[in-house]
Amino acid sequence: MNKVSTILIALFAVVILSAMTAITFGPADIDSSELISCLIGSCQNPIANVVIWQVRIPRVLVALVAGMGLAIAGAILQNTTRNPLADPYLFGIVSGAGLGATIANISLADNLTIALPLAAFLGALFSVIIVVFIAKVLQRMEQLLLAGVAVSFMLASITQFILYFGEPFATNRVIFWLMGSLARVEMSNFYVIGFVLLIAIITVIALHRQIDALLLGDESAASLGVDVDKLRLLMLGLCAALTATIVAYCGGIGFVGLMIPHIVRQLIGVTTLKLIIGSALIGAIFLIWVDVIARSSLPHAEIPIGIITSALGSIFFLFIMYRSRAVI
Amino acid sequence: MSTLINISQLSWHVENKSILQNINFNVCKGEVIGIIGPNGAGKTSLLRCLTNQGNILTSKNISGCVQLKNRPIVQYSAKEIAQHFALVMQKNETIFALSVQDVLKMGLLPHKSLFSLDSDHDKAQISLALKKVGLSDSLHSHFNQLSGGEQQRVLIARALVQTSQILVLDEPTNHLDVYYQHQVLQLVNKLNITVIMTVHDLNLASLYCQRLLLLDHGQLISDGTPEEVLSPKKLSQIFGLPCQKSIDAITGATQVSFYLKNNEQENNLVKIVNE
Repeated sequence: MNKVSTILIALFAVVILSAMTAITFGPADIDSSELISCLIGSCQNPIANVVIWQVRIPRVLVALVAGMGLAIAGAILQNTTRNPLADPYLFGIVSGAGLGATIANISLADNLTIALPLAAFLGALFSVIIVVFIAKVLQRMEQLLLAGVAVSFMLASITQFILYFGEPFATNRVIFWLMGSLARVEMSNFYVIGFVLLIAIITVIALHRQIDALLLGDESAASLGVDVDKLRLLMLGLCAALTATIVAYCGGIGFVGLMIPHIVRQLIGVTTLKLIIGSALIGAIFLIWVDVIARSSLPHAEIPIGIITSALGSIFFLFIMYRSRAVI
Repeated sequence: MSTLINISQLSWHVENKSILQNINFNVCKGEVIGIIGPNGAGKTSLLRCLTNQGNILTSKNISGCVQLKNRPIVQYSAKEIAQHFALVMQKNETIFALSVQDVLKMGLLPHKSLFSLDSDHDKAQISLALKKVGLSDSLHSHFNQLSGGEQQRVLIARALVQTSQILVLDEPTNHLDVYYQHQVLQLVNKLNITVIMTVHDLNLASLYCQRLLLLDHGQLISDGTPEEVLSPKKLSQIFGLPCQKSIDAITGATQVSFYLKNNEQENNLVKIVNE
């Protein structure tokens, strides 16, 4: 067995262990013997049973798929644009989702359970369409990221404008939502995110050679028979769908897509198949533990998860710049 | 020899400018062809048409026909074209730490279906290709950290992994020092496949190509052996410099040298250099 598969198997084991351990964290006092008996279905304490099955397990599972999804979205964007700093956050996908959520919150306060994710999704899609359109007009793939940053700021300013004149309660709700949290997730969210994630992973595994071919330039990929424009559009759409679904339920969780693939490149490799599998595993571990920090570091409150990932991410960003002499 | 490619009446006009004008020639199996000519003569454009990159032949500015094995090339899918032509282009940069192995694996793409993984046969093919270009020890090296000549050889090895019948190279000796120029062209010459390449250096082209195509202003000026094509009269007209032809004492190849037009210019140059 080679080095890469050893690392991947070890990471997989860490994902399982992390998920199991993360279930033990939380305000309700449940010891490990009670936890195990509840997990195998012979629970004595009905309250513990409800806490574990309806609060903690959905939360850990959503953290797992959201971490996987955000990391994979970053990895796909980075390889298809050949830009190691590409991230769904910087591509305007999150600001688009934020705008959609804001509009839904302000105008449809009654029926938010379906409207909020749907509006966030449409907003994210909207931002990607603008970014791709701008990049097409500019004809320069290298400028895609800059276009994304510009669109991101534009949509964020529209969001802020609406919030400024909006009703205070709705505004509050949106602001907290934008900070990102897994506190209100349900099992159904896990299924939806998991479904989109599965489609994304299958698509990327199917096309991994095509995506790899892009790494040496568009011209080189085209000479190998790759339809470069179509592939890039498909991948961008996939990232938008994946990120939008996650953002819709969990709010803004930034920098995961930037950090995780970077670590994977150092540890496992740069080609798409390795990058995607590695990012999925490390992304899951990362978000499970950040969520544990979010819910257990303060005695009677939670820290929004997006605040923690952004703080870690910005430090990480500076760290990359500091050692930018090294090979990316 | 069987004809692989047939080009007839190929023209490419953009507004009032002609990029290619009524080009006709055939390519036979096993030939090593060099396309020569001044900057902007249409050498790279001709390569693009030959391989129908980006489906360029369907553009309304281009007329004429390119046939591959007696079938119009526009009828081939991008994947089929990649199965016939392996391209080594000028620009190949990556900021990611791709290994030589990663680059060679790209050559498998035209023969692979979706979801496919690498087989043992693929790995054997990769090490064989690397051996042929003399880089067996570099399988795990970073592509970016290789010298220009080594990168060029890796890309030729990738073309070998692609197992296409026709190797197309755009200025393979650009940015290489004299040693690597000869090394790369000698390698290309000895592969025993059909090769079509653009070459800037006329003497290198003469040394390593069986047949030369001389282009100027989008027109095919002459087509034949190096001895036939490298005529001092034509070359001095095209490049605007007096030209002399000689036979190299060691290789027996036709070689050409150019001079500045008159003594006045030469004196000026000497003056500039001395200052």
